[in-house]
Amino acid sequence: MIRNLNIFLLFVSVVMLAGVYALKFSIEGTASERTALAAQIEDQEGQLSLLKADWAVLNQPGHIDPIIKRHQEELAIGPVQQEQFGAFTALPMRPAKPDTEAMDALFAAIAEGIDPIDAILEMEGIE
Amino acid sequence: MAAITEGHAPTIAIEGARKQRGNLTQARIRWMVLAVVLGLGLVSGRLVQLGMAETDQTIEGQTRDAITATRPPILDRNGLEMAVDIRVPSLYAEPRRIIDVEEAVRELRTVLPDLDEDWLRDRLTGDQGFVWVKRELTPAIQEAVMRLGIPGIDFITESKRFYPGMNEAAHILGSTNVDNQGIAGIERHMDSESVALLQELGLARGNALTPVELSVDMRVQHVLHEQLMDAMTRYQAIAAAGVMLDIHTGEVIALASVPDFNPNEPATALVKDTFNRITSGIFEPGSIFKTVTMAGALDSGAVAITDQFDARYGIRFGRYTIDDFHGKHRILALPEVYKYSSNIGTIRIMQAMGKDNYRAFLSRMKFDERVQFELPEMRVPTVPDSFSEVGAATASFGHGLSVSPLHMVTAYAAFVNGGNYIAPTLYKRDMAEAEALYERVLRPETSAYLRYLMRLNAISTGGSGSQMNKAAQGYRVGGKTGTAEKVVDGRYSSNKVTNFFASAFPLDNPRYAMVIMVDEPKAENAQSGTTAGWNAGTLTGRVVQRVAPMLGIAPDFSEAVDQQIVPAEVRQLYPEGF
Repeated sequence: MIRNLNIFLLFVSVVMLAGVYALKFSIEGTASERTALAAQIEDQEGQLSLLKADWAVLNQPGHIDPIIKRHQEELAIGPVQQEQFGAFTALPMRPAKPDTEAMDALFAAIAEGIDPIDAILEMEGIE
Repeated sequence: MAAITEGHAPTIAIEGARKQRGNLTQARIRWMVLAVVLGLGLVSGRLVQLGMAETDQTIEGQTRDAITATRPPILDRNGLEMAVDIRVPSLYAEPRRIIDVEEAVRELRTVLPDLDEDWLRDRLTGDQGFVWVKRELTPAIQEAVMRLGIPGIDFITESKRFYPGMNEAAHILGSTNVDNQGIAGIERHMDSESVALLQELGLARGNALTPVELSVDMRVQHVLHEQLMDAMTRYQAIAAAGVMLDIHTGEVIALASVPDFNPNEPATALVKDTFNRITSGIFEPGSIFKTVTMAGALDSGAVAITDQFDARYGIRFGRYTIDDFHGKHRILALPEVYKYSSNIGTIRIMQAMGKDNYRAFLSRMKFDERVQFELPEMRVPTVPDSFSEVGAATASFGHGLSVSPLHMVTAYAAFVNGGNYIAPTLYKRDMAEAEALYERVLRPETSAYLRYLMRLNAISTGGSGSQMNKAAQGYRVGGKTGTAEKVVDGRYSSNKVTNFFASAFPLDNPRYAMVIMVDEPKAENAQSGTTAGWNAGTLTGRVVQRVAPMLGIAPDFSEAVDQQIVPAEVRQLYPEGF
């Protein structure tokens, strides 16, 4: 009886020993994995901080302004002028009723083969 | 043994084999226990030893945490980064682990040739556990040093402050030292508040810190800085500075002073003349101070906006006579006194109020104390404790006292916002917070008069602000010029002047106040002059023209918006208003 129990206990302790060792090794593995990940995260955070700084530099008005000035003529752009502002109130209201006479004249002209848009396009030099 | 004892007399007690064995077992157990106790003692002794041993957490007297500690990013009011932390490698050595010092010195100098050979040898020799070799290097240098493979040489990642805006907001931000501690500007202020404590506790690590939001608008700041730099060449000035305030909340929208420095290289801040002229420069404000005199006199009720003042002759004080620059030498109404910037008229207005009342008003406007502001670089203004007759007379047009441009812009903000003094701030502040801090210094009617006077000066013929208004047509700017003569060899010099332009816009519903200063300008061309309208004035106009659309102010050319700010009393005098 005792003998059987001893054998059983011996067996159990061997298994436990093996288990504990396996656990220890797996934890060591996990720990080194964690360390590697932490190092990688720190490295990437460092890179990220540089990228963020880059992004901040590229977004600065002081960085963008010289670029705009360089291409000002080519792109025909410039600081906004007061005359470029408009307001909804400045828009003319829609006429109370359609201008039937003008419409009739327009349709008549088109029917005769004269398109007023052509004249504008020709003036602008668009074929 | 049992065999030997068998033949002796039976009286002798013989130890049986069993007992003998029992004794033996007991002895063995004792030895065993002793061995186990010794073993355990050894183990616990080692544990105590390990527990007692202090691992060296400090790097040359600082905790490791303090070195890697970060500072919160600083954002402008739209969330654009003004200061960020970057991680940079710093080179250190462990001299006790270096095998061949000579080799290490030779090889390190191949990558870092600017290190002094003797200094480096001295540094690497010895038994220390940690010495800095060179801090804040680039990743490329780190790579090259790692490739050398010298034992006992390694890198640690440090946080370094980086200012993507370079010079633009230098005086607002200040800078930090190599240990990432604020040494000037808002950086220093932040440290005195909370960041230093966090760093000390080792909590300021990673990206966990909440960003600090400033009230500054980097777009406006850029335009202001660019225009000031332009003024330096255009007018060959020795310095220029400007500040813009939100008049309702006291938030600083832009603040610049040139010559300035690059906060990424803190050493450049030590160059002469790079001080912040807005907060730590005090100047005689000149005629922009006349607005203060008008405000005080109108608010006290001693004068009315329609009163007439005799400006035909200069005012004599003993041997001195104070006269007008380009004087009209006739009787002027109050709006004309302001428009033509008459010294005589202003003195009479001050005298109507009384010099002691005038001095009390200056205290009410806080001209005799430091402005409450975050930047540590501040100077106390010099305003006499009491005025003599002549002292009060010169003070009424801004001579004989020195205040900072920040004082002026704060006062102008109060003049146009309805009469509430609000201390400026660099942090975001909303209306509710600001209203709690309001201090009433003027009646709302006085504020309305001043808005009219400032706009009058810009659009009326002969007004000193008309140069300014040319550029900023439609944005309803108004303001006052100030040309303060500098004291050279104890006398006021007429060719060395400090020019100011104090303004507010849009005056039909004012939102921003601005003070521009140009120091010792020269005429831009033969047709222009050196008085403030030509330089500080036009500069103001150009700045407003650029920034008004950014701040959401649309131009309005209709005359009605200007007419609606004309006070009813003035209509009796000038039916047309301006």
